[in-house]
Amino acid sequence: MYFYLYDSFLNNKKYTSILAKIENRLIDLGINGKIEKLSVLKSAQEVVEDNIKSGADTIVAVGNEATFAKIVPLVAKQNGITLGFIPVVENAIAKFLGIPLGEKACDILSSRLIERIDLGKANDFYFFSELNIPESKDLTLECNGGHFRINSTNHSNIIQICNLTYTPLKREVGSRKFCDPRDGLLEAIFTPTTSFLGRSRLDLNKRSVFPIRKIKIKSSNSLSLIADGETVIKTPVLVQVAPKKLKLIVGKERKF
Amino acid sequence: MFKKEEGEIKEGETETIIGPSVKVEGDFHGEGSVVVEGQVSGTLRTNQNLRIGANAKIKADIQAANVLIAGEVRGNLQIKEKAELKSTAKVTGDITTKVISIETGAVLNGKCTSGNGIGEVKESPKPKIRNNRNNNLKKEEF
Repeated sequence: MYFYLYDSFLNNKKYTSILAKIENRLIDLGINGKIEKLSVLKSAQEVVEDNIKSGADTIVAVGNEATFAKIVPLVAKQNGITLGFIPVVENAIAKFLGIPLGEKACDILSSRLIERIDLGKANDFYFFSELNIPESKDLTLECNGGHFRINSTNHSNIIQICNLTYTPLKREVGSRKFCDPRDGLLEAIFTPTTSFLGRSRLDLNKRSVFPIRKIKIKSSNSLSLIADGETVIKTPVLVQVAPKKLKLIVGKERKF
Repeated sequence: MFKKEEGEIKEGETETIIGPSVKVEGDFHGEGSVVVEGQVSGTLRTNQNLRIGANAKIKADIQAANVLIAGEVRGNLQIKEKAELKSTAKVTGDITTKVISIETGAVLNGKCTSGNGIGEVKESPKPKIRNNRNNNLKKEEF
């Protein structure tokens, strides 16, 4: 049974016609289901959990990349649930997954091409794409059970723990083998920044890449890490890979 | 062994890159090829290729299938197949390998053991059996 979760921004009148087209197409394809709209008073977690209890086996996030990032950890905590996505506005995740905008995404849902992909797990929180770590002098990363530690030498690195990559920063190195969401690994990426004419630039040629399964992030002062650009997690954080954790409906044009 | 020139990284081949902006301490065990352009101390092991860049500084015992050294290494190296020292290499430690190539200008302070089967012999020592036999002999003698 399909369950469609609309993000709160879709309450705006300008999306009415797009939503109507999507709903009609879903009926045509015979994959229509219960619809709920998020609002300030409705928590996404409660809505998802209630509908799974009522028998929903496919949760479809309708909205933008923030909607998707919000729903992923909720679906990942449940076993055997498939996640779908109908993007209503242009976004990088939809492109990465090979899902077109609006009603065309319904055809992708209908064809049910499912990929099982890895997720990152930071303490108890699942993340889909990456965990951003602010650089700090006392930051230490202990990898694979503390066998080795990584420290910055210049303290001007952008540090990320990546499961997969679709942002413009990494598109330039997108052809690389790393950051594959099906390899059972995460990558700790250190990209040094240099300043040129007062502007800070990323030096991609001098970056470091460590394939890891488990990493402990410690600092003497509490640091805030940002998962998928949405959720803040405080140090100390244990990050590990959750292999094949998410069942995801993807398009043929997907980039992995 | 290393298809591209020094400093270049072949797409899709390299799995771990230790860049110039990081320092790794401890027992580093890479599962694929490793490129070091930064600092490493402790031990460094990989079952594939290891490339040590010209600006790299390593204070570690090293085990790898093949190694290309252009930087500074302090520690013993156990290489299964081939060790290549570029002209900028500075190695202080013993090297055990099947095949070695040393460019003019490279510095090597240590013992070098090379030849067929060298890497393999080191990998499968069975000291316990020998000890037992020696112990038995000693008992018989008494």
